[in-house]
Amino acid sequence: MRSDALVLALGLLVGGAAQAVTVFTCEPEWAALTRTLLPEARVHVATHAGQDPHHVEARPALIAQLRNADLAVCTGASLEAGWLPMLQQRAGNARTREVFEAADHVELIDPQPGAIGTPWAGDVHAEGNPHLHTDPHKLLEVTHALAARLAQAVPDQRSAIEQRRVGFERQWKARIAAWETRARPLRGRSIAAQHSTFGYLWRWLGLRQTADLEPRPGMAPTPGHLQRLLDGLRRQPPMAVVVSSYQDPRPARWLAGQLGDRVPVLVLPSSPPDDAGPDALAAWFDQMLDALLKAAASSPP
Amino acid sequence: MKNRIILTAMGLLAASGALAQAGKAAPTEKGWEFGAVLDTTATSRPLAMGSRDKGLQLGHSDLTAHGPLGAHLRAGVVASVATHEGKLEKGFEEVWIETTSLPAGLQLRAGRFPSQVGYLNTQHPHADDFTDRPLLYRAFFGGHWNDEGLRLSWTAPTSLYWTVGVEAFRGRKLVTETANTPGHIGAITWATKLGGDLNRSHSWQLGLSHINNRREAAVEDEAEHAEEGHDHSHSAQLSGRKTWMIDATWKWAPNGNNRDQQVRLGFEAARITGLNRFASGRDRHEANALSAVWRFHPSWEVGARSDWLRGRMPHGEHFHNLLLREHSLMVAWKPSHQQTLRLQWTGQRDAVGVDAPARRSLQLQYILAFGAHGAHAF
Repeated sequence: MRSDALVLALGLLVGGAAQAVTVFTCEPEWAALTRTLLPEARVHVATHAGQDPHHVEARPALIAQLRNADLAVCTGASLEAGWLPMLQQRAGNARTREVFEAADHVELIDPQPGAIGTPWAGDVHAEGNPHLHTDPHKLLEVTHALAARLAQAVPDQRSAIEQRRVGFERQWKARIAAWETRARPLRGRSIAAQHSTFGYLWRWLGLRQTADLEPRPGMAPTPGHLQRLLDGLRRQPPMAVVVSSYQDPRPARWLAGQLGDRVPVLVLPSSPPDDAGPDALAAWFDQMLDALLKAAASSPP
Repeated sequence: MKNRIILTAMGLLAASGALAQAGKAAPTEKGWEFGAVLDTTATSRPLAMGSRDKGLQLGHSDLTAHGPLGAHLRAGVVASVATHEGKLEKGFEEVWIETTSLPAGLQLRAGRFPSQVGYLNTQHPHADDFTDRPLLYRAFFGGHWNDEGLRLSWTAPTSLYWTVGVEAFRGRKLVTETANTPGHIGAITWATKLGGDLNRSHSWQLGLSHINNRREAAVEDEAEHAEEGHDHSHSAQLSGRKTWMIDATWKWAPNGNNRDQQVRLGFEAARITGLNRFASGRDRHEANALSAVWRFHPSWEVGARSDWLRGRMPHGEHFHNLLLREHSLMVAWKPSHQQTLRLQWTGQRDAVGVDAPARRSLQLQYILAFGAHGAHAF
């Protein structure tokens, strides 16, 4: 009787280990997408919405996660250049030597061909703005490519993955249509923001970023730079000052304070919350739209 | 002859790098990355066993290249220049190839590269938190230990990070002058590391390493050799047959956001026994270093380090005591990831058997990095 239980437990262990695919994801948006397409996968997420994905410590815990993964899904375009190569080198995992990079499957905005990172230029991404996940259309293109990559990793799940992809795309397209209708009041409005985190979102919604709180890409705002911005912003006050959830909100608050009470500070999550269920991505877009529409309503053009 | 081999290796690496870039075999295959680091330091008073000269000096500055070699290998080259005791020194710090597609978490590396032992040895010197390496590294490894050899390492498929590695080196840098010639393999090391996260803000790593040094240090008096014009060398000043090292690192960053704020605590200790054929069980070298660094603003860091070294200097058939304590305080301004301006105060105390200890020394260091300079290790 006891040995039967043991055999059963062993069978479950071995069977479970053989069945489950482990996916290492660099950011929560790719974890959410992976879970949508392959719910039975074991998913590790290296960062969270409260964390700056450019600056992550190549921690031992992350090396162990990558070592155990069958597949790695990241943004690319040098977003993870400061830590992912070190994880790969330490993990010594042949399966994650080649990483699925979302940036390889969409056209990036603001490419700077030939840009060489001089010590004074800040964090320049020659490939273009890597924060492509804030454009729901681009997310759809990535979903297509990711489904193909997952099907390659788990061939016996190919049809199930394909089915889920079709379902997700149908739902997502309907959502995009609804969001675009709702977001009409935002078209043409101006916004001040820190970093290019939401560059794709602005472009999609027809918002214009008229000021960047960073003096150089990736550098923390300096008092001198904020002072210079102030003159231009006073003439044309933005609808809101936006920072991401991982940034220090104080420079934005100072700037908004100088512009008077009418300009609100919005702290938008730079990524969906981790493990927030099947609708994490949609809920995240809803949250961002709600905040922007509220700001637009409170400060009429 | 050796230089020619290294030059040929360089040429091959550069050529294959260009090919890899031109070919772009797979869409996710990254090309070669090139970088340069310039380190300039002004020192008010040179430290005993230090690597910095009085006045303005070009510190460890290098040109680096890393990239894939086909589908199964990766290579790296680091060429460095520095001035030491008024002379310009240049050479290849690293020239290596490494496998990337062995199964089961195994990796094999061959060439010239820094040994896996301890915590600091595999870190890029320009990422150091202080202007000079701890006394432990200066006395036992001549600053840092890179050597020609082979490494086999294995990362375990565990949820806690666990890695084990074995290396075989020529080991010539471990001993200033050798009394025997042990053949091609002068030193064998093994090391293991264990690490993980406590939560989103706290992470840790522990390391244990061992060196079996097959070269025996010459037993003659060092001073006699110095008179013969024997160069200052970058070899270890204190050596022995067996070295044990432990290291512990703990890092804290609120919510894992190390850009805004971070505390890094590090401790390393080493003990060397089997100093030479006249040594008794009580004759041993010991050193440790404890450091704490706090980044309190995205571009500001302060840090303190306490170093201690005790050794037995061979002198014919007997030994002389050697003792030195060193305390350092530093403040660093890092306006971007590519620049560091550091002011450091260092005091050396309790010196026994050490030439010209510096009771106090001030150093001003400026580090400038161009291009890709590789991701940093934990």
